[in-house]
Amino acid sequence: MTSVPMDHGLLLAGLLFAVGLAGVLVRRNILYVLMSLEIMMNSAALAFVVAGARWSQPDGQIVFIFIVTVAAAEVAVGLALVYQMFKRMKTLDADAASLMRG
Amino acid sequence: MTIAFYVASAVALFATLMVVTRRNPVHAVLYLMVSLLAVAVVFFTLGAHFAAALEVIIYAGAIIVLFVFMIMLLNIGPPPSTRQESLLLTPGIWVGPSALSVLLAGLFLYVILAGGRSVQAGSYVDAKTVGISMFEIYFLGVELASMILLAGLVGAYHLGKRDLPDEAEGGNG
Amino acid sequence: MTEAQFVALSPLILVGLAALVVMLAASFKRSNGLALGLTLAGFAASLVSLAWAAKVAPVQVTPLILIDRLALFYLGLVFLTGAAVALLGHGYFEKRAGYRDEFYMLLLMATLGAGVLVATTHFAALFIGLELLTISLYALVGYTRTEPRSLEAGLKYLVLATVSTSFLLFGVALLYAELGTMEFGKMVDLIRQGGHRETLVNGAIALVGIGIGFKLALVPLHMWTPDVYEGAPAPVTAFVATVSKGAMTAVLLRLYLLVGGAIPDSVMTLLSVIAILSMFVGNLLALLQDNVKRILAYSSIAHLGYLLVAFIAGGNFAPEAVTYYLIAYMATSLGTFGMVSVISGREREAEELRDYAGLFWRRPFEAGVFAAMLMSLAGIPLTAGFIGKFYLLAAGVDMGAWVLLGSVVINSALGLFYYLRIVASMYAAETSAKPGAAAREVALLGSATLAALALCLIWLGVFPAGLITLIRSAVLGV
Repeated sequence: MTSVPMDHGLLLAGLLFAVGLAGVLVRRNILYVLMSLEIMMNSAALAFVVAGARWSQPDGQIVFIFIVTVAAAEVAVGLALVYQMFKRMKTLDADAASLMRG
Repeated sequence: MTIAFYVASAVALFATLMVVTRRNPVHAVLYLMVSLLAVAVVFFTLGAHFAAALEVIIYAGAIIVLFVFMIMLLNIGPPPSTRQESLLLTPGIWVGPSALSVLLAGLFLYVILAGGRSVQAGSYVDAKTVGISMFEIYFLGVELASMILLAGLVGAYHLGKRDLPDEAEGGNG
Repeated sequence: MTEAQFVALSPLILVGLAALVVMLAASFKRSNGLALGLTLAGFAASLVSLAWAAKVAPVQVTPLILIDRLALFYLGLVFLTGAAVALLGHGYFEKRAGYRDEFYMLLLMATLGAGVLVATTHFAALFIGLELLTISLYALVGYTRTEPRSLEAGLKYLVLATVSTSFLLFGVALLYAELGTMEFGKMVDLIRQGGHRETLVNGAIALVGIGIGFKLALVPLHMWTPDVYEGAPAPVTAFVATVSKGAMTAVLLRLYLLVGGAIPDSVMTLLSVIAILSMFVGNLLALLQDNVKRILAYSSIAHLGYLLVAFIAGGNFAPEAVTYYLIAYMATSLGTFGMVSVISGREREAEELRDYAGLFWRRPFEAGVFAAMLMSLAGIPLTAGFIGKFYLLAAGVDMGAWVLLGSVVINSALGLFYYLRIVASMYAAETSAKPGAAAREVALLGSATLAALALCLIWLGVFPAGLITLIRSAVLGV
């Protein structure tokens, strides 16, 4: 197909992963945190597809499909939690919603 | 195709950076969409056409819509909460975590490029091969993935459901 | 699928089936008792089918799952614990408002995920089992929707667990990119042969380690534990502390047996540092808490540190020592968190230390059982916890790992202090306990479960030989 070095694909995945992690750590709004989590999962999925392409095996794409499935289920539960949280506490700020310390 | 890979990579990286720095959640979601579409193009250039299609249909199509729906439901407009946005502007909040992430990116750079022997990626694996392998070798994974979706469904249903009459008065912290 | 494979998988299939049956039944009639009965029937059927599966074991079902004696043993452990959590949950949720059937469905699905984990020989299956376990747990941790702390704990767990899973996935992806396979056995062989990029493989293994370390709540990755343990409903906390950690330990054990104990010294040193830190951080922070659930959370961090010592210092004994220690830890954690759920009242949980003041005079039976559990956690003789610690120390002396042994001894003393603090407060005179924490009615099923557990602990502490023989045949026969 193409002559893209595998390492460049992995590198793209690594950089996306780092940006996603930064998002999780920096943002206080829980919606952004969930989006950043999606970025991290997606970058790991990208790494699998790159690896699968290197070996010309379907396994990379299959794990990608599993990751997409998991991400969908996770977002559903996550947003339901956010919805309840917002209903009860009227905030999306992760710091303001923090009741437990110690 | 090689050029397409690098262009799409640049777009994906830029859009992802925009996602984590936007103030308006709707803008962030739109950038996330762009980022996912760019990653789909990357998949295509690597010969993973089936994965590219799924990326568009499920990630960009379904998961992003969930986010948009939630923003609409919670009705958060442009200034979501002024406190956290002004906090975001003070360097004390974001410098530490960002430095950590840059460090991680540097580590990835080192780990992936160390050793130098680069292999070409990008051989075409078609949907048929993926499908056969999926239902011959990974069929248990498929069954379990269905249980994961079921768990997500039950969990989201339980959490999102309306309160029972005797539930509403209890525990309002 | 051949018949032997089907038979081997039947314990997992039955648990999955039970989740569906509970769901179907709930659509006709919502009833706490019915759901509990079906759940227990499901667990009982799977436990019986273990004997059936043992006749054909070991069976490799696709590259993903291997049902061998190790897997069967841990499956039994996981299912028994799941059934105990269901029994505890029945009484706990009976007292509370809201829907109850979903608890059993999610519990069964989480147990299925844990069951997949203990039998997996492939990273794809590891990922799926792990996610089935954690996604059910997000909802279980946030189960009490009216309690903001529960929701907060659910969200925290979701965010942190997803980050750690992403690390794990990325590590696996890098390994796959370099080695071209995701099967445990083949990967170990390829790494042994060499000829790949060392830095990449080592970095990838570190990433996988982060993912596993998070699940076990070892020290740099332990931050989520106290908040999640405090916020989650008490039966769910019992589940998080036992099943999810036990399943991950089984994965580690399988990898350890595959590697054959040939772990480089640098890794051993790193693991020793993590173990020592886990013990000290867990025990020292537990001293500062007034909330019983948080005390137990920090104590569980310390116990996983001890468990890691068994891995490091165990040598040939490691699989045995780890398994015995894990069983003692699981039974006691189940007992202690179970006790919190049994004596919790309608309005809130009995989680403050002062809620326990005078418990011995009000509820002598429960207080006695609780004291026995705490003594086992502290490792007092005649309890299972003592035999677990003894195993650890004996193995450590054998290997001459004196620094680790010293830390274990110091930490056992530290631990004794705060366990006795809880016991002492139970015997103290009743002070001004916050209202609403004491249960007015006794959850009969829950109390019976706890009594059985306490008997088990003392039985295992006095006559450990039977279990040890069983463990030997399970972990050494693989």
